[in-house]
Amino acid sequence: MARSRRRVDTPFLVAGLATAALLVVMLYYPVGSVLVEAVFADGRLTLAPIRDVLTDSLYFGDLAGVFAGESPADLLRVVLAGEASFGRFGFTAYQAVLSTLLSLAIGLPGAYVLANYDFLGRRTVRSLTLVPFVLPSIMVAAGFAAMFGSNGPLNRALAAVGLPTVELMFTLEIILLAHAFYNAPLVVRVVAAAWEGVDTRMVETARSLGASPRRAFLDVVVPQLAPAVLTSTLLVFIFTFMSFPIVLALGGFQLATVEVFLYDRISRLQLEEAAALAVLEAAITLGLTYAYLHYERAQAATRGVTARSRQRLFARLDLERLAIAGYGVVIAIVFVGPIVSMLLASVLDASGGFTLQYYEFLLDRRDAVVGTQPDVAIRNSLAFAVGTLVLAVPMGVVVALATARDTLTARVVGTFAMLPFAVSGVVVGLGLLQTVVFGVEVFGLQLQVTGAVAIVAAHAVGAYPFVVRTVTPALSSMDDRLVESARALGASRTRALLDIELPLVTPAVAAGAAFAFAISIGEFNSTVVLVEGGDAYTMPVAVQRYLSDRTLGPATAMGSVLLVVTSVSFVVIERLGAYGGIE
Amino acid sequence: MRRRTFIAGAGTAVAATAGCVGYTGGNEGDGVVTVATYESFVDSEDSIGPWLKENFEADHDAEIEFTVPSSGINQYIRRAQEGADIDADLFVGLNVDELIRIDEELDEPLFDSLAGDLERSDRVLDDLRFDPDGRTIPYDTGYISLVYDEREVEPTTFEDLTDEANRGELITQNAQESDPGLAFLLWTIHEFGADGYLDYWQQLEDNEVRILGSWSDAYNAYTNEAADMVVSYSTDQVYNGDTPRHQVGFLNDQGYAQPEGMARFADAPDADAATDFMEFMLQPEVQGVIAERNVQFPAVDDAELDEEFASLAHVPPEPVTFGYDELAGNLDGWVDEWARQIVE
Repeated sequence: MARSRRRVDTPFLVAGLATAALLVVMLYYPVGSVLVEAVFADGRLTLAPIRDVLTDSLYFGDLAGVFAGESPADLLRVVLAGEASFGRFGFTAYQAVLSTLLSLAIGLPGAYVLANYDFLGRRTVRSLTLVPFVLPSIMVAAGFAAMFGSNGPLNRALAAVGLPTVELMFTLEIILLAHAFYNAPLVVRVVAAAWEGVDTRMVETARSLGASPRRAFLDVVVPQLAPAVLTSTLLVFIFTFMSFPIVLALGGFQLATVEVFLYDRISRLQLEEAAALAVLEAAITLGLTYAYLHYERAQAATRGVTARSRQRLFARLDLERLAIAGYGVVIAIVFVGPIVSMLLASVLDASGGFTLQYYEFLLDRRDAVVGTQPDVAIRNSLAFAVGTLVLAVPMGVVVALATARDTLTARVVGTFAMLPFAVSGVVVGLGLLQTVVFGVEVFGLQLQVTGAVAIVAAHAVGAYPFVVRTVTPALSSMDDRLVESARALGASRTRALLDIELPLVTPAVAAGAAFAFAISIGEFNSTVVLVEGGDAYTMPVAVQRYLSDRTLGPATAMGSVLLVVTSVSFVVIERLGAYGGIE
Repeated sequence: MRRRTFIAGAGTAVAATAGCVGYTGGNEGDGVVTVATYESFVDSEDSIGPWLKENFEADHDAEIEFTVPSSGINQYIRRAQEGADIDADLFVGLNVDELIRIDEELDEPLFDSLAGDLERSDRVLDDLRFDPDGRTIPYDTGYISLVYDEREVEPTTFEDLTDEANRGELITQNAQESDPGLAFLLWTIHEFGADGYLDYWQQLEDNEVRILGSWSDAYNAYTNEAADMVVSYSTDQVYNGDTPRHQVGFLNDQGYAQPEGMARFADAPDADAATDFMEFMLQPEVQGVIAERNVQFPAVDDAELDEEFASLAHVPPEPVTFGYDELAGNLDGWVDEWARQIVE
């Protein structure tokens, strides 16, 4: 007993306290300042705003009646008659489930190929998987509308080979595709990392004991992949549940998600309703997170770290490789097509002719005395992303260590660690504005937090859940006896972490770090608030600023710059990581 | 009581010091007019903002500094509600719906009255004035219209939009989040009345109207030929030229006017210089430059407008719009009922 108390050493304590302080200042306090509207009115506790939303058929359809106290039997009758509707929350969950399934369907084969086959440019492809994740919705909308439009490349290709064309614009299908574009790469990344860690010796042992390849896969590989698959399923569901601009950019208002209405209520300053919507969104996503964490602990399996041997992809032609070729066509349509279309949109004028005028606009901006300059935005984005990585990785590891045990406290802390993903970005933005930007009076001092440091802090807070979610499963599957032996031999807790645990979970930390970098590059809602008149703007903020109500050109050019700069930096980071021994 | 005063005093002192070090400017009657506006007002050398700054400063003993709050006027409403400093003298780019929101949210005035302060005020077109209390003065206006492909469609009336021949051919924007989208919704209310507009929208829905998010979402879809008509601005040809795919259509010869106004914050530290700047923005030659650079139309009756610009920017034969009194108390309800009908 006494020994374990002694061994909570200073570096741990400092890191833990710093993480907690950062979360309070940049997340809990700002978000609380908005959400309090949902439960407080005139200085008294109330549930009225939440009840109003629950009983509004706009949001909950036929469920609203049940929340208002009507008999559930009526609801059952409507459901059985097949006429039930569940309002915006129902639709939002529905499209999120479909989006998640599609993302898994497209992502899992990708993870399999990346983990099991070797081919020229495999590492580059893996680096680039994160690119869609950071693209501003205006870019994705431009790319999708061009690629999947009635006269787009897809339909022209279909017509050329005599197949019927497809009308995807303004449908649920194109929204699901766009969600898969953003999120399937996440599945690829997280699951491929786990697949690479599957102990091949166990598969060989199973096979030598007479198991069929299928049996060996189901009994040995699947249990080891399950935590990663479920982690990515949870993340994709949360992200698509909170989806906002892309839904209206491609689908239409008939397909509006809850977040569309939340954004409207915020911009009309109907803060009680906005807060109630945000609380309910968070309750749903955090509830799922808690359920998932319960499962994750029950699942923890020991994992090996043997180097994996991969087959050469282009060695011969067999049925499996033919299927992979078919998968390649899907990837070309869903990913390469829209990205090429985005780049094309930046060099075409209104009548479809080639032009460099939007890039000239960007170049001219550098000499301008006012406004937003592209090179400053590029520099800021990269600097903030590196800063975020440096801050978010230790934060994530500290929280992962604190929650790696299967206790109620650990599950609750682990659930609340996901808060940055579970709370609407516009709520975080408004919260930051009315607290740290407007200024907070602390002991008579007017404290304001804006500019570069605040942005890096906000990005780290927004990114660290990724590190937690990738590192925790790896840590909890580790053999506890390793750390115990090290500490019995006199190593401090910090020493044991640095020498034993971290080297064993390096792939998971690297995956989390890559996502932290990506989150920082793509973050918009908090950044735009914290820039507030200064020159700490980033690439996504520049894209938004170049987008006026009159012309799309400069914004697509800036978006293309973002795409290229991000791609190059992902490849460079992976290369550096490879030199540093992180595969 | 004494302690509270002391704390407030100390807070101000620290904030003021921070202001000096960081040079946020425009706070202490120091001859720096801080103008809060929107991005495209200042985002390039061709924008109107830099031109106004250079030419105003050339013959006035004052400096202009622009600031672009990320959440527009809401930033100042929240500041007023939370008791934070306003930190600006002027707001440029105010719509009537925002003015109504200010009055709904705040008891104390955010802006003060301009009555008698501006000599050029009486040259402003009466149709564009939208503030019965005289706090806001319009400096330009846009007209919402259709942009269409004349090879495919020929929309001239509201009925044309619900015609079977035009099924699926109209793209508009979400009235909740987009200025042109809201203007188009109000235009239909102007035409069919508060009792009739939902029926008309039901017909539009039956004819597969496409309601996307922002102006750029809608225009982007139009550019990719997802449909042959889009709700946009009557200045479209200034950007795209007079081509078959960029014809401007006024339904029933109307266009919905969307005037933009400016207002002076109550207790603006540089009130006099701010007023001079507003007066400057209403001069005939400046009004011409504002129109061209902001790609809008002048707000005064004697603006000096470039002829080429005037030939590409179309004014509707019969501009229509709702004033403050018609919208106040109705606007939120109209938009909410519209939204419910569309999604349910």
